[in-house]
Amino acid sequence: LQEKEELIEEWQPEPLVPPVSKDHPALNYNIVSGPPTHKIIVNGKECINFASFNFLGLLDNEKVKSAAQASLKKYGVGTCGPRGFYGTFDVHLELEDRLAKFMRTEEAIIYSYGFATIASAIPAYSKRGDIVFVDEAACFAIQKGLQASRSNIKLFKHNDMTDLERLLKEQETEDQKNPRKARVTRRFIVVEGLYMNTGDICPLPELIKLKYKYKVRIFLEESLSFGVLGEHGRGITEHFGISIDDIDLISANMENSLASIGGFCCGRSFIIDHQRLSGQGYCFSASLPPLLAAAAIEALNIMEDNPDIFHTLRAKCERIHRALQGISGLSVVGESFSPALHLRLEDSYGSRENDVTLLKKIVDYCINRGIALTQARYLDKEEKCLPPPSIRVVVTVEQTEEELDRAASLIKEAAQSVLN
Amino acid sequence: MNVGVAHSEVNPNTRVMNSRGMWLTYALGVGLLHIVLLSIPFFSVPVAWTLTNVIHNLGMFIFLHAVKGTPFETPDQGKARLLTHWEQLDYGVQFTSSRKFFTISPIILYFLASFYTKYDPTHFIFNTTSLLTVLIPKLPQLHGVRIFGINKY
Repeated sequence: LQEKEELIEEWQPEPLVPPVSKDHPALNYNIVSGPPTHKIIVNGKECINFASFNFLGLLDNEKVKSAAQASLKKYGVGTCGPRGFYGTFDVHLELEDRLAKFMRTEEAIIYSYGFATIASAIPAYSKRGDIVFVDEAACFAIQKGLQASRSNIKLFKHNDMTDLERLLKEQETEDQKNPRKARVTRRFIVVEGLYMNTGDICPLPELIKLKYKYKVRIFLEESLSFGVLGEHGRGITEHFGISIDDIDLISANMENSLASIGGFCCGRSFIIDHQRLSGQGYCFSASLPPLLAAAAIEALNIMEDNPDIFHTLRAKCERIHRALQGISGLSVVGESFSPALHLRLEDSYGSRENDVTLLKKIVDYCINRGIALTQARYLDKEEKCLPPPSIRVVVTVEQTEEELDRAASLIKEAAQSVLN
Repeated sequence: MNVGVAHSEVNPNTRVMNSRGMWLTYALGVGLLHIVLLSIPFFSVPVAWTLTNVIHNLGMFIFLHAVKGTPFETPDQGKARLLTHWEQLDYGVQFTSSRKFFTISPIILYFLASFYTKYDPTHFIFNTTSLLTVLIPKLPQLHGVRIFGINKY
């Protein structure tokens, strides 16, 4: 008894907040006042926004805002229920219909949170005992979806089709040893159209060939490529000229090009209908607020009426990609037509913290002179394959060419002053 | 959980045999089967009893020991996909009341069948083999065991 008392007296609780240095990024943050539109106010200074994923500039569009306000007057703010329990409005059904028609698939399903879209879609189809082949550079939402699905995950090197083929062949030899088990395992490949962590696109034609050769289903995550790639903005399938029936499920975020909140999945009716009961984010979360659904419908209208904005966006991306080449100390990572590219340090300066501090100095230099940039943030301990620290530069259709050139020269200046 | 009520059971298969009225329904069902067999004029009483025993054991084997997984989606991502209903009962806990009931009921049926067939040798062989097919999979040592890999996946 006496020992128990002593132990209780000796015990010191761990501090709620562990002791950190004053420079910890969580303690020094930039404050944004107002909406993150083309001109953004960071720490009281007005800057040009090169950080928000507002690719088509629809965040501040008057038509979208008035459609949202009309919907707000009609429906109020929230839906007060999941889709299955009095939370389905006509705007939801209309948005699903419009998205299905736009992407030329049979059906589409709306989720109310972009992260939850792919994180609910993967566990709805892939269960324990199934096999999923994923790219190493998959985004955090995909990683959480895979963790929730409890399937066997096989990572292949980023965009390396030979590595994927090797894994598929190994799986095939195992299947031949145990055909009864192979008959009940489902196999999936999960790739992103435009990767958020590296700015590349996946080699979709080769993936389709592998799909038909090894009988695997493809889940394509088009969060960054929807409304960016392709003649009419339909994503990477249009970019490569592949029939949309070859892809089993396309999942995308409406928070980037469509300037709304939430996400959608589209595909064949047979596939999408399953998510109406098995998609955890669909059944057990409140549905999308109708004003955001109306905003998304209006944004789709704008996208359909002006198909030349995609071409303009790609031209601007190429311009800044060219302008950012040749900065000493920083290398540009990403395709030339990708609107979200990364600037990584050419050589690491010791530890990751040093790199992050240096990049922060570059970002602060740019913010002080009117260009708002951001570093790509990750949960360091939770990511499977943590990418190196980088600055993410986002190109939108609203930035003029003069602003693009100014940003490129400012980044060059910042790199020279900080890294030398 | 009782069948037909709102519940938060992850896998309802585990608790369905404990539901209210399940044992009575099962006993009445066996009784009904027996009465139907007795009503057919071609079967004598011993044949009807042996047939009841055999058909009951065949049904029990198929539904409890052959069919795997669940007919509905479960929120646990398919943990019970490779388990038979007997292995899913009560989440694998052995010697619960349902398990004891369903182990004893074929034995009682066997005693009744042996009595009413007057211990005739041919009937004895049929009844005993069918009892063994339904008792052996219920042993705790055979939980999750698949002999010769039959029915494994």
